[in-house]
Amino acid sequence: MIKLKGKYIQAPTLRMFRRYYYLLPYSLRIRFRNRHRDFAISSRVLRACHRLQIILVLASFIAASCQGEQPDLTQKSLEDLMNIEVTSVAKKEQKTSQAAAAVFVISSDEIRRSGALNIPDLLRMVPGIEVAQLNGSVWAISARGFNGQESNKLLVLIDGRTVYNPIFAGVFWDSQIVPLASIERIEIIRGPGAAVWGANAVNGVINIITKSAKDTQGTYAVVGGGSLGAQPETMRFGAKAGNLGAYRVYVEGFHTVAQRSIDGGNGEDDWSLAHGGFRTDLKISSKDSVMAEGDLYRGDAGELVVAPVSIEPPITSTLALRDQYSGWNLLSRWTRTISANSETSLQIYFDRTSRGDTTYSLGLNTFDVDFQHHLGWGTHQDLVWGLGSRISSNGTDPEFRISFQPENRNLALFSSFVQDEIATFQDHLHTTVGVRLEHNSYTGFDTEPSISMVWAPNNKTMFWSAISGANRTPARSDRDIRVNVEALPGPNGLPLLVSYFGNPNQKNEHVTAFEAGYRKTISKDLSLDATAFYNRYRDLQSVEPGAIQLETNPAPPHLLLPWTFANGLYGEAHGFEAFANWKPTRAWTLNPGYSFLTTHIHRFVGSEDVTEGPDTEGGAPKQQAELRSRLDISRGWQWNTLAYFVDRLPALSVPAYTRLDTNLTWQLGERLSMTLAGQNLLQDRHLEYAGPDSSVQSGEIRRNGYAKIEWSF
Amino acid sequence: MDPVADTAAEKAISGRATRHFVEFLCLCIAVCLAAAPKNSVAQDATGEYQVKAAFVFHFVQLVDWPSDAPNGSEQPVSLCLFDDEPNRKEFESIIDGKSFGDRVLRVRMVHQQQDIRGCSILFLSRDEIRRQNEALRDLQGQPVLTIGETDNFLKDGGMIRFHLEDGRVRFDINLPASDAAKLRISSRLLLLASQVLRDPAAEHGGG
Repeated sequence: MIKLKGKYIQAPTLRMFRRYYYLLPYSLRIRFRNRHRDFAISSRVLRACHRLQIILVLASFIAASCQGEQPDLTQKSLEDLMNIEVTSVAKKEQKTSQAAAAVFVISSDEIRRSGALNIPDLLRMVPGIEVAQLNGSVWAISARGFNGQESNKLLVLIDGRTVYNPIFAGVFWDSQIVPLASIERIEIIRGPGAAVWGANAVNGVINIITKSAKDTQGTYAVVGGGSLGAQPETMRFGAKAGNLGAYRVYVEGFHTVAQRSIDGGNGEDDWSLAHGGFRTDLKISSKDSVMAEGDLYRGDAGELVVAPVSIEPPITSTLALRDQYSGWNLLSRWTRTISANSETSLQIYFDRTSRGDTTYSLGLNTFDVDFQHHLGWGTHQDLVWGLGSRISSNGTDPEFRISFQPENRNLALFSSFVQDEIATFQDHLHTTVGVRLEHNSYTGFDTEPSISMVWAPNNKTMFWSAISGANRTPARSDRDIRVNVEALPGPNGLPLLVSYFGNPNQKNEHVTAFEAGYRKTISKDLSLDATAFYNRYRDLQSVEPGAIQLETNPAPPHLLLPWTFANGLYGEAHGFEAFANWKPTRAWTLNPGYSFLTTHIHRFVGSEDVTEGPDTEGGAPKQQAELRSRLDISRGWQWNTLAYFVDRLPALSVPAYTRLDTNLTWQLGERLSMTLAGQNLLQDRHLEYAGPDSSVQSGEIRRNGYAKIEWSF
Repeated sequence: MDPVADTAAEKAISGRATRHFVEFLCLCIAVCLAAAPKNSVAQDATGEYQVKAAFVFHFVQLVDWPSDAPNGSEQPVSLCLFDDEPNRKEFESIIDGKSFGDRVLRVRMVHQQQDIRGCSILFLSRDEIRRQNEALRDLQGQPVLTIGETDNFLKDGGMIRFHLEDGRVRFDINLPASDAAKLRISSRLLLLASQVLRDPAAEHGGG
């Protein structure tokens, strides 16, 4: 039928064209067929052709992956080796197994295997961290108690940029979105970290660290969808930036559907978000490297809020509001390696964020400069010191429900810290002493000291203990806020307005924490980590009832029942956290974890607080337990499961619950992976938090199933 | 069957076109992959310990062990690392299984102090400073080439110490220590060293 031998080798373009013949419009096909009738080929040849094509594709895949391989250094001569410039990390990255703190690290592999769709879901695997979802986009996350929608004793940083909001004292988790595949690791420290990280690191610090741009080369895409809407769809591209380094850019977006409200109705909490950003890592000389990154985001989330809508007639109702937020930030860090024992870094960032619905509105600009110097002194001392300054200007619009007086305010924070680690007894005993001196616009100077010791009799056993102090500094919501909570019919036919007032004299809340821990590597397949703590708090925030008074502004005249913040409480919390890493077989890893917590809050003489104290005592789960399993079933197949139990929250009438998340991943070579995941499988829906102090009304969290395909090339 | 001439096939184009389109996409990707510049950033900045591993590979060839050493000429030469050595991957990837002449270099993990006497070479990185003293004391006079990188490594009785100079790897040699262990270090290596401690008395000032 044809004389194709030779021809089909020599005319590859024509051959390819022939293969995609059916993609042509019909009219063109007819013309092509008439002109190249002799080029038609048999189905046998077609199959051969096809096979060749597969081989071609495979070959180019192999060729592509081979190109990335390292040259064989051992083939170079000693003289050549002596001329190679090496990358060196002067700042000895402390292994978490040696840290004198309750540290837990979520690695990028654990992130990939968790099946989590966002950072709060990831944190559920950490023993001693409480993660409670209020609605589709709002979470209450804390360590060692004091949880709430504005959980104000936990400091969160993304690549060194603090995302703790100085207006509402807490973290808006709905705008802290980082593409999960770009996260290098998340370090979670339970307990105070103020000596190094600064104010508000009272009960914990979460450090989200993204991958260097050189580790995200090539193109990466993830698409998927599920019963609660699309899971984040990400497109990322990374490439070399000349000979200096590398960069990446990404865009991501998602939309989730509404959950249920507490009475089973529509939670109105659908959520959509789009963001994009970049990161570049450059090595500008043998000693200097520069990292720069930026993000831009815009989100829109629905929520149910109970709020007064009118004074006369007094109406308080549940409103379905749209919380809209947007922002951008730019961060740059210049690191200079002076010698193998000395390194400096200078970090500057700017962060702009604004958000609001019809009942509140705020904007915040933050500019931060931070300098650090790390140096080894002789062989036995390791010193870090630093200076920092943060200027933030924030503005609010007065709304009937939430207003601030003054509306706008500038805040300045100056800080310096020094920490020295001293090794003694042939490196078996490490003592670390640190102190931070801070000055903030509200409460002036304050110090936050810490001392810790690590005793490692051998490399398999480690004991540590620490005593540290930390402060939670007042935010604008403690000092300047007025929240109108409820409008009711009052006595004498006058309407009654219930309102919270900030206290212009609000002081720091303070903790002194005593911690001790033990880490043991029993065998290479089993290791244990246990921590016990005792925290003493003073000057905790209380809510003091005031006398009913007549108020004429806002009109019409009405009675006002004011509740004012004060520092009327003190208390103590104690508990312990334990977890293990066990590999029963080569392919199976099990991570059991358990945490226990009790909190007691007392009133100072003069305080009449009746809400903050009991809510804090009974607002955190006494016990949490988790079991994580990671199983490599066979080549490319992985099955991961996380089951965990959260005790009831007696003060908030939230029953205990057990969650089960599981996912099955099929990795097809290096480039493609498919995941099928189920979250919250045991119940159709359940309640995780119902804080009386939350501005949003909690809903019930629904079961979710999703599928996704990840592709990198 | 001739698919082009077959009108039935013409009509069934939708399914076929989809399949062909997928193939076409695959081909496009493959071409892009082969043509795209590769992510070779990692190559530009070579890891410190990868280079150090390559140095060790040269040291092995430029040092003679005494004939009564535990590694007779038959056995593989073993480079030992403590099992919590953070840079073990670099050593394994660069030199494990590499052969020179008729011998093979093996990277071996040791778990306990007493295992190190059976090694040919022991590498102690900065992170192993806690074990350094004990290990060096234990190996005094033993035919084990000790390589380290802390400031006091030679003072404490180590034989070869790596250090960085302007981002490049350099090394010092403690000749009295290697002599005591009956290891013969070739003159070529001594020439390339930044500093060679020769006289036991001079040892005090070195480092």
